[in-house]
Amino acid sequence: MTELRIEGLTKAYGPDATVLDGLDLTVPAGSLAAVLGPSGCGKTTLLRVIAGFLRADAGTVTVGDRLLAGPGTHVPPERRRIGIVPQEGALFPHLSVARNVAFGVADRAARRRRAAAMLDLVGLAGYGDRMPHELSGGQQQRVALARALAPEPALVLLDEPFNALDSALRAGVRADIRAALRATGATAVLVTHDQQEALSTADLVAVVRDGRIAQCGPPHEVYTRPADPWVAGFVGDAVLLPAHAAAGTATTALGSVELRTPAAVPEGTVILRPEQLRLTEPGGTGDTGGTVHGATVTDVRYYGHDAMVTVVADGVDTPVDIRVAGHSPFRPGDRAGVQVTGRAGFHPGRP
Amino acid sequence: MTGGRAPWVLLGPACLAGALALLPLGYLAVRALERGPGFAWSVVTTEGTAQLMGRSLALALAVVLACLILGISLAWLTVRTALPGVRAWAVAATLPLAVPSYVAAFAWLSAVPGLAGFTGSAVALTLVSYPYVYLPVAAALRGLDPAHEEAARSLGLGPVATFARVVLPHLRPAAAGGGLLVALYVLSDFGAVSLMRYDTFTRGIYVSYQASFDRTPAAALSVVLVLMTVGLVALETRTRGRRRHARTGSGTARPPVPVPLGRMTAPALAWCGAAVSAAVVFPLATLAYWLLTGQRSTWDLPRLAETAGATLGAAAAGALLTTALALPVGVVAARYRGRAAELLEQAAYAGHALPGITVALALVFFAVRYVHPIYQELPLLVCAYAVLFLPIAVTATRAAVLQSPPVLEDVARSLGHRPLRVLRTITVPLAAPGVAAGAALTFVVCMKELPATLLLRPTGMDTLATRLWTETGVGAYADAAPYAAVLILLAAVPSYLLGRHRT
Amino acid sequence: MRNPLRRFTSVLAVAALLTPLATACGGEDGDAGSDDAGIVVYSGRNEKLVQPLLDKLEKAVGTGVEVRYGGSAELAAQLLEEGDKTEADLFFSQDAGALGALAKEGRLDKLPEPVLGKVPAQFRGSGGDWVGVSGRVRVLAYNPDKVDKAPDSVRDLTKPEWKGKVGYAPTNASFQAFVTGMRVLDGEDATRKWLKGMKDNGVKAYDNNNAVLDAVDSGEVSVGLINHYYWYEKVAEKGADGVTAKLHFLPGGDPGALVNVAGVGLLKGSGQRDAALKAAEFLLSAEAQTYFSDETKEYPLAAGVTSKVPDLPPLESLKAPEIDLGKLESLQETLAMLQEAGMV
Repeated sequence: MTELRIEGLTKAYGPDATVLDGLDLTVPAGSLAAVLGPSGCGKTTLLRVIAGFLRADAGTVTVGDRLLAGPGTHVPPERRRIGIVPQEGALFPHLSVARNVAFGVADRAARRRRAAAMLDLVGLAGYGDRMPHELSGGQQQRVALARALAPEPALVLLDEPFNALDSALRAGVRADIRAALRATGATAVLVTHDQQEALSTADLVAVVRDGRIAQCGPPHEVYTRPADPWVAGFVGDAVLLPAHAAAGTATTALGSVELRTPAAVPEGTVILRPEQLRLTEPGGTGDTGGTVHGATVTDVRYYGHDAMVTVVADGVDTPVDIRVAGHSPFRPGDRAGVQVTGRAGFHPGRP
Repeated sequence: MTGGRAPWVLLGPACLAGALALLPLGYLAVRALERGPGFAWSVVTTEGTAQLMGRSLALALAVVLACLILGISLAWLTVRTALPGVRAWAVAATLPLAVPSYVAAFAWLSAVPGLAGFTGSAVALTLVSYPYVYLPVAAALRGLDPAHEEAARSLGLGPVATFARVVLPHLRPAAAGGGLLVALYVLSDFGAVSLMRYDTFTRGIYVSYQASFDRTPAAALSVVLVLMTVGLVALETRTRGRRRHARTGSGTARPPVPVPLGRMTAPALAWCGAAVSAAVVFPLATLAYWLLTGQRSTWDLPRLAETAGATLGAAAAGALLTTALALPVGVVAARYRGRAAELLEQAAYAGHALPGITVALALVFFAVRYVHPIYQELPLLVCAYAVLFLPIAVTATRAAVLQSPPVLEDVARSLGHRPLRVLRTITVPLAAPGVAAGAALTFVVCMKELPATLLLRPTGMDTLATRLWTETGVGAYADAAPYAAVLILLAAVPSYLLGRHRT
Repeated sequence: MRNPLRRFTSVLAVAALLTPLATACGGEDGDAGSDDAGIVVYSGRNEKLVQPLLDKLEKAVGTGVEVRYGGSAELAAQLLEEGDKTEADLFFSQDAGALGALAKEGRLDKLPEPVLGKVPAQFRGSGGDWVGVSGRVRVLAYNPDKVDKAPDSVRDLTKPEWKGKVGYAPTNASFQAFVTGMRVLDGEDATRKWLKGMKDNGVKAYDNNNAVLDAVDSGEVSVGLINHYYWYEKVAEKGADGVTAKLHFLPGGDPGALVNVAGVGLLKGSGQRDAALKAAEFLLSAEAQTYFSDETKEYPLAAGVTSKVPDLPPLESLKAPEIDLGKLESLQETLAMLQEAGMV
């Protein structure tokens, strides 16, 4: 059980190419953290610095009580005890599955046993004699994890490991990997640009922007209480409304909204999730009470388990997304009512 | 791309290889400046030198262009089209590697004396060196995802435009690397140009040795040749650019559907047939003619067998040492960026454009002074092969290493293996087929090498090439023919394997 | 893994490892191993021509003999590079130029007078540091079906009557030595003019002397500039009736009648001076001189040996031009001149 602690990590590829800009991150022992960010935010660089493939310009990386990178210190990758699961697995194509898994096990006598145990852990017992190209993408990915876990690393890094998988496979492999990580108690960092993946897999989500952590917290907290409008927009769909706040209530074009915390300044933006808006019959009153605002439906997107309806509310310039459960009776052009439910976050500044 | 500096376990041996390749430069510096920089400068700046340089570069340009046309067209026909007998053509197209340039030149000269001069030199050199372009281009074509071409066709480009705008750019690094080897081959060739009586820089260097017995002007001229080499290597590096390497897609690329040739089948067959006939069949036919018309064809079989054995042994040792030295250089060149890696790769090319006699004299110079026990022993000859042919193996190794994604090495290190172990367990096994191809190619060129072999071979040892030189030296072509034939047939074995090799 | 190329490479590796063994076992014939206190001969003369003779050296000298073959010029450069660390004791050169170059650098030991004295002064180094052992004469070969007789001087070949009828081998070292000789005799301007005249007269270039002789024989050209022994070898091979071409030895000290020599020099610092000297003496012995005359159809140079080859006029009867052969090393200018004339 080891904790990963990163402090003030800085890395630049040139004078105008700062990729990591004083990044701080702590991942508690035994938890799975997702580093979430758009492409180019520095998350791959972060992973390579942690693994030791790149040298940081400044800052420290500590795993447990071992300083791995810091001023005057750079432990080479092979002595860090950090396992990595790269994109698409990157299994050694010339080695059998069992030899791939046993590759990092130093104790020769234990290799076979360890490889079998790890394959068992990821649900691939009996696949040891196959060659990598004989496995499906999901199986390759699970072997890659088994290989990373086999030497009992202090930390496991997963670099967008589900990217290349079909969406149908993804959820299953994700669950298997999570279970395997849990079972070994390894601390893990998952790098991804997929917010759903981050929210559903991780214990902790760290959103990276421009080489810094924009917000770090449990998935629920990051989703429901985004630190700012950008994070809100990146971690899920967001409805941003200009608002005028007074104490615990803000006034928006859709009526007044209750705030989670009292606003410090009067002018700002209210952040809502689409599922916080409710669609009603036009002119009707919502079943929870409160004001209902008139709107025109402009688009309906059906996803099966739910649907997203875009409306233009009367007196509001920008369209607003509303998530409705199941099938929506509305069609583009219909009139409808919009009602805000629950509490909202408030940020100074206009959207 | 792995960043940062290469680890010492790689850099150390790579620097050793680079130092060996730079030995001739050290020698040239000593000799060229023997009578002061003024004298060397006066040799280099004569009008004749400029003319020779112009003639050499003109020949190199013509041969490279011809090799690109021949190599790329044959590669496309044998990899991408429904040419009848495509596999046989693919193998036949590599066989000219087995033909020594002096044999090709002699064959052409005796058939068409009017070819002597620029045309004959260009024809003979093109026909023996186009496989240097053909092999890497064919490999690159095989690695090209047909989806790119399909996308281009769907965007309204015709087959020719697709080839020019989508396929050719993809082939550029491979073609440039092959073109560089061809250019250096032409610059350093003596056999073909001397038979064809076309004056080049290398011939000028030989003449300087033969006519004035003066090593200082020869060395000064050689320095200019090295500078031309450095220029060409830099040009090639720029052409290669920041090449994206290794297709890392999870699935293998779909095998392309062969392009039906339709009405073009007959011309395509004629083109392949003409190339193979001119490059392989014709020299072999000339040898047969030598045998039939020669005065006394005494087949000294035991001697032939012994000579063939010695040739194989020396060439095998040469190929092995060259490949071993090329391995660290190729890995550094493929995996690391920066000044050191670049310089190292360029150093490997230093000896490649030098005439064999210059490299041989350089090794004479150092060996008699510092390692006299191996002077005129096999190890020194093998070292000469390594100096001469290092770039061939480096090019092959670099390409082979680039084929496998660097992330595999990252993973191996994260699993607790030191760089040397990663090299042994991951990099080398994965690159092995390509490295083996480089070894086979080096083996072939070692077998054909003449000038350095003559000066450095152990006393009493003959190779097929030196025997060929001896026999033709007194006009005993009938006696020479068996040696030439065995040389070509033996060299054809690795060439054949290279032709069948799929990267 | 079943890649044939990789298997091939494994074979290479095994072969490479076995090679030292193979060469150690295979090299038993002739050379008695380099550790023996034998002498080392660098031979610029072709193995095919002189090996039978050099095989007898061992017996004549009384020690082991190792011979390295190569081009005379390349071997000279190698000897200069080796300097006093050379293992060579004797240099057997195809031409005087290479010996002259080594002598100029002080790499050759002065030969004792009795050895030098066996050969006429014009066929040895002016400093007494090398001695010629066999000679070859520049001659004109002509086809009697085409012309009645060849001219008495090469200078005449630029005349209109010979237009398109002459063949030569411009890259041949003996031809170039002849041009150098002409420069010494007639001067630079006259030689340059002659070369230009030849070119303008449509002289035909061939790859070597054999090809020139073949062209004369077939009537492709009427006259060819060659060394005398090519004709005698051809006659020996095909019989007198099988050869149409005839030889014409140029009279009156014509530059076209130059005599080139092959010779030997003793390397300075040789630890085997006595044995090497014995080897040189052997090459001037009646046995060796007869070999040159009978086998390579060259002229014996040592006094008292005459060629037994039929029809070969004795060397003394020829009016060779008076030239210091040591001067033939200034080939550089000759080549520049040939290039200028567009001949090579």
